[in-house]
Amino acid sequence: MSATRASKARVSVAGSGARPGPRPGSSAGWILSSPLLVFVLGIVLFSVVYGVVLSLQHRTVFDPEVTWTGLRNFGHVLADRAFWQSSWFTIQYSVIVTVIEIVLGVALGLFFNRTFPGKRILFLATILPITIAPALIAVMFRLITNENIGAVPAILQNFGLDISLYSPGSVVPLLVVLDVVHWTPFVFLIVYSGLQSFPEEIREAARVDGASNWQITWRIVLPLIKPVLFAATFLRFVDTVRTFDVIYVLTGGGPGTATETISIYIFKKAFEDGNFGVAAAAGVIMLTVMLPFIPLLVRKLGRAEN
Amino acid sequence: MTKMTQAPTPQQQTGILSTSATDGTRRRRRKALRLWSVTALAVLISFLLNLPLLNAINVSLKPDAQMNAPLSAPTTPTLEHYANALGAAGYDFPTFFLNSFLISLGTVGLILIITVPACYAGLRLQFAKGLVVTSIIGLRLLPAIFFAIPIYVLFMTTGLLDTVVGLVLANTLLNLPLAIVLLSSGINDLPQEIEEAARVDGASVYRILRAIVVPILAPTLVAVAVLTFLFSWNEYLFGLILSSTQSTPITVGAANFVTSYGIRWGDLSALTVLSSIVPLGFAIFAQRFLVSGMTVGAVKG
Repeated sequence: MSATRASKARVSVAGSGARPGPRPGSSAGWILSSPLLVFVLGIVLFSVVYGVVLSLQHRTVFDPEVTWTGLRNFGHVLADRAFWQSSWFTIQYSVIVTVIEIVLGVALGLFFNRTFPGKRILFLATILPITIAPALIAVMFRLITNENIGAVPAILQNFGLDISLYSPGSVVPLLVVLDVVHWTPFVFLIVYSGLQSFPEEIREAARVDGASNWQITWRIVLPLIKPVLFAATFLRFVDTVRTFDVIYVLTGGGPGTATETISIYIFKKAFEDGNFGVAAAAGVIMLTVMLPFIPLLVRKLGRAEN
Repeated sequence: MTKMTQAPTPQQQTGILSTSATDGTRRRRRKALRLWSVTALAVLISFLLNLPLLNAINVSLKPDAQMNAPLSAPTTPTLEHYANALGAAGYDFPTFFLNSFLISLGTVGLILIITVPACYAGLRLQFAKGLVVTSIIGLRLLPAIFFAIPIYVLFMTTGLLDTVVGLVLANTLLNLPLAIVLLSSGINDLPQEIEEAARVDGASVYRILRAIVVPILAPTLVAVAVLTFLFSWNEYLFGLILSSTQSTPITVGAANFVTSYGIRWGDLSALTVLSSIVPLGFAIFAQRFLVSGMTVGAVKG
């Protein structure tokens, strides 16, 4: 009885999926979606449209008069050396950080993909950094690298190295290390979950066929988790491109503008220089560069649904 | 085929047994050694990854007089810095904690209210063919700083600047894509038969959503709530821009402390440790939801 009912239900579901005509409760779709629609219209679409509007206006904190300036703000941004400098720094930083984190995260995932004593607690300890706020990690990093009370300078001094960690030469590596310490665990978590999701038998079969551990890893395991690796790489890259918190708290973009990311550049234009028009224009440029990547993200979910 | 020829002599037998026994223990011992060396390496790695936090805990327990010995553990551990951070020294941190708590809780509530029905409508009722829901996932890519400027101007004109409500709205914007990814994948995994059966029995869409979908979806809802709370608690950029005195969250308060009270290292450390307790608690007590949420969020979105 219940089996026939279930199969009948499946048929009717398949039928209704094929034709999107009126269903019992097509008004329910509107009602249920209305809270989201209100939010999207009120905040999301408003922000996008208003952001573009601002980018076409001369609008500063000090000058109450708002005037239309056409594309002059864009010209200002594109002619600004600091904008290109921050863009270049952001891209370099993001590529380096992402590559290191992927390599270390995968290595760590493979390393954890076995049983050993204390694994549960050590797994937890390894993913712990992900949960700490970037702004707070930055404060903690300031504590550990402070030249008076920090452990890192103290250790370096024991080895006879007396370098200033925040000098132009060493500040970038410092930021890279910080991000790697903070987010390698994220890559690890994703990779490890991916490794767990395919059956041990595949590995066993390859071992029986005489494959070495190295071959199994390179020829079987890594190709199998390719989608997971792609997702982790994509997310880490996108997130480092948008980096603001950590670097702003740790260096404020300095010394000078040496560690200014695009986000920090836009922030300073808007909230330190008070020039909303120029900041919005830079934001629109950043948005435009990232837009082509959106279908990549949305299609992935569509695929998962099918 | 006699019993005598088949069975080994007693001497042979003991010989075989003893060699296999020592072989076995040696192999077992070697295996145990290998396992424990894996553990040792894992301990080292997790120690290095958590060094910033462990260092902050160490500094927070040191009396001020011991601060200039960075590599030492506190000889006479003190909780004075924690008392200071919690209000004894007259800082505003209790207020900041309360703000962070209200902002995070409000964001969780708003996120669930707007995404759960909408995801159900988009994926099950085929509202707008699910396009409204899926296109929002694209927001995951957009830089927060782009939204910060128009939202700042909007809030300035509507009086939402420096309010908890304003920060709830901003955090909702940030957490929308992840919540939708998790809910969509959760709803897609639900067997449609139950809902269809309920519909055949005459239940309305709202009743099905409330009485069937939401209870079955509970683990996903918890994952959404945990991650939304965590990310709202950890948010910094919007907190920095949209708050000044009334709604300052703890991340902004702690970062400002560095510049304004730079040398009170003990209090600062205690403060960062305290602000990390909530996220760390999630990691320990809600690990399952955190792990599943982050993995699904990364792989499906």
